Amino acid sequence: MKTFTRIAVAATLGAVMGTTAMAEGLYTPNLAYRTGPFAATGIPLMNGQADYMSMLNARDGGIGGVMIDFDECETGYSTEKGVECYEKTKGKAIVTQPWSTGITLQVLPKSNVDEIPILAPGYGFSPMADGKVFQWAFNTPLSYWDGASIILKYLEEQGDLSGKKIAFLHLDHPFGKEPLPYLEKKAEAQGFELVPIPVGLKEMQNQSAQWLQIRRERPDYVIMWGWGAMNAGAITEAVKTKFPMENMLGVWWAGHDADLKIVGEDGKGYKSVSWSFPNPDAPVMADVKQHVIDAGKSQTNEEEMQGVFYSRGLVISAILAEGIAVAQEHAGKAEISPADLRWGLENLNFTEERLEELGMTGMVPPFSTSCSNHTGHSGGWILEWDGSKFVKASDLIMPDSEVISELETASAQEYADANAPWPVNEDCEM
Amino acid sequence: MLYRTAGQFKTSYKADQALFPVRQDAFLLAVILAFAWVIFPLMASEFAFQTLLIPILIYALAALGLNILTGYAGQLSLGTAAFMGVGAYACYKMVTLMPWLNPVVAILFSGVFSAGVGVAFGIPSLRIKGFYLAIATLAAQFFLVWLFEKWGWLYNYNASGAIQVPNLEMFGVYVAGPQASSTVQYYVVLVIVTLLTLLCINLTRGNLGRTWKATRDMDIAAELIGINLMRSKLTAFAVSSYVVGVAGALFVFMWRGAAEPNLFDIPLSFRILFIAIIGGLGSILGNYLGAILIVGLPVVLNTLPEALGIPISSATVEHLNIMIVGSLIIFFLIIEPHGLARLWALIREKLIIWPFPH
Repeated sequence: MKTFTRIAVAATLGAVMGTTAMAEGLYTPNLAYRTGPFAATGIPLMNGQADYMSMLNARDGGIGGVMIDFDECETGYSTEKGVECYEKTKGKAIVTQPWSTGITLQVLPKSNVDEIPILAPGYGFSPMADGKVFQWAFNTPLSYWDGASIILKYLEEQGDLSGKKIAFLHLDHPFGKEPLPYLEKKAEAQGFELVPIPVGLKEMQNQSAQWLQIRRERPDYVIMWGWGAMNAGAITEAVKTKFPMENMLGVWWAGHDADLKIVGEDGKGYKSVSWSFPNPDAPVMADVKQHVIDAGKSQTNEEEMQGVFYSRGLVISAILAEGIAVAQEHAGKAEISPADLRWGLENLNFTEERLEELGMTGMVPPFSTSCSNHTGHSGGWILEWDGSKFVKASDLIMPDSEVISELETASAQEYADANAPWPVNEDCEM
Repeated sequence: MLYRTAGQFKTSYKADQALFPVRQDAFLLAVILAFAWVIFPLMASEFAFQTLLIPILIYALAALGLNILTGYAGQLSLGTAAFMGVGAYACYKMVTLMPWLNPVVAILFSGVFSAGVGVAFGIPSLRIKGFYLAIATLAAQFFLVWLFEKWGWLYNYNASGAIQVPNLEMFGVYVAGPQASSTVQYYVVLVIVTLLTLLCINLTRGNLGRTWKATRDMDIAAELIGINLMRSKLTAFAVSSYVVGVAGALFVFMWRGAAEPNLFDIPLSFRILFIAIIGGLGSILGNYLGAILIVGLPVVLNTLPEALGIPISSATVEHLNIMIVGSLIIFFLIIEPHGLARLWALIREKLIIWPFPH
């Protein structure tokens, strides 16, 4: 018994010391969801993110000579678990990647106190773009309002919107309601009729009531703000009710290959706005394949790697890695602090040249951030489902920044007032 | 041995009916209270406060409220989360409409609103019983969550439809909102939970508690011996909803910091019902034991592999966690169907007569 105890203690001690040795480097936890109702859409994103960091570690020995300790904390997309993960990781973390609008809303007010940057690429709260107010939050490269604006601009190219009827099918959740203020404003200005149709969390898989309403209303277009099981539900229902697919457009989270594969050819013409696009010939894909996939360090598979979501995961990690690199250069040291990383994320400059250096040409539009602009407003493409995969259906479309920035400033101010005392960045003079 | 009651003589009815007829019970409680009031706050990390101490207390309080209704008065309710929501939204409206209001007063007062709503939805209990009543409370659950979503005034027409807790001060210290420290929030929760627990213990031991138990055990017999069923059932709904409403206000204001309507949906109701059932219906202690098992244990299990240095992915831990907690629930319910509180009572009884088996 005594020997056994001794062995057990030795093993535990060794293991604990082993982990501390392993944990050296920059700790960038990801609040992942590989379990729960949203796992199907989460897994390719998480794999892409993890693989990019593993690739950097294997190819370059990390960033600036420091290994990246990319760790996942499982949330199952539950806000409660998300907060648990946030509390668990915030001691060492240089960044928080909350991965759900609910968790973002929960963590956002604490950002000024804990002083850890929140990186929420393409999700979260649209007014986070106002970097003076939301000093610690980043939603690069596009906010939901930008996404809505790009969709409207694309539709305008197809013909004048005045007098048209647009149904807005959305998840009845903070995420789904995000673009409403912008869409309402535009509906008034451009003279189209907006019909918001909420889908409750419990009705995601059975949307017959919503589609009955769509059939009755006969909208010219359906804009969909869906996530997880809602997308597949809406797309199959649209096919069933014979809604013309080319008039249905989704947000970037509603452009998941697996959701469309269920309907295959029948889904032809469905569109989704996106700020990322898979480029199988990009050098970065070859590097990931060589250093991560072939080395057996990944959980992904060949089919998943072709998809939009996996490559979006790569882009998200590339944004973080670039932020770290910029911060290291500015701080003059490799072991950066959360505050350094904030500077890095505020000074991103993804030019065409830089994207080429990173081997990511065509995978994300060029954009740059500043202390007052935490989004970058890169613009996006409209992707179209051709029956077996997503293809680009438009050139880069830029969002309508005038109306959006007005809305952003007003909403950010409202948020700051409601949460007073809320420190703003006084040094930022842009 | 430790629980020997030899030599503790009761010479009056008062002593015999006291809260702690056995001295060791009082001693044990004193130790637990010392831990809760002094030792935990001194030792706990931010993580322990936010994921263990505060949520366990709040969930235990919510389960306590439900236990009054279901365990003591025998009225099955599936609408606990909705009543918590009423408390949370009432508190939110009060602090945003009247920013000068003391936050603790607002939290305690928000229970009054949920008590009112609870009584309104409790009226059907005068005619329907058992599972049929459960369906009526289910209606409250769906209706109230729908109301939280649709009634913009409740969340001050916020675009995201969620409520955000503002920074609230009391005597120059932040007690709620992002600026508040976990220690302060813990103490606020602890004070309120202690007070309400004390209140509930005494209520259930007194006249009202006895009428509830009579109603629960056989309502026709209770009516025949002169108990006013309407009064008994509605007071149970009122007291229960009050406690649940305060727990809801604490849930959002002292812990979560923000809430969207679907937070108060049926999964939360079930979670609290499970805490009450596994802890033990008709007991006060059980709510705490149940909350420790359902809320606290998964958090501890989640941190174990990392603390032991076992390299295992976070998603696998989550799967294992669900399996372990699930089998523990089944295990406890098989060895003692009346819940953890009954299990403790049996252990205590055995200790008192130790070393004799009977």
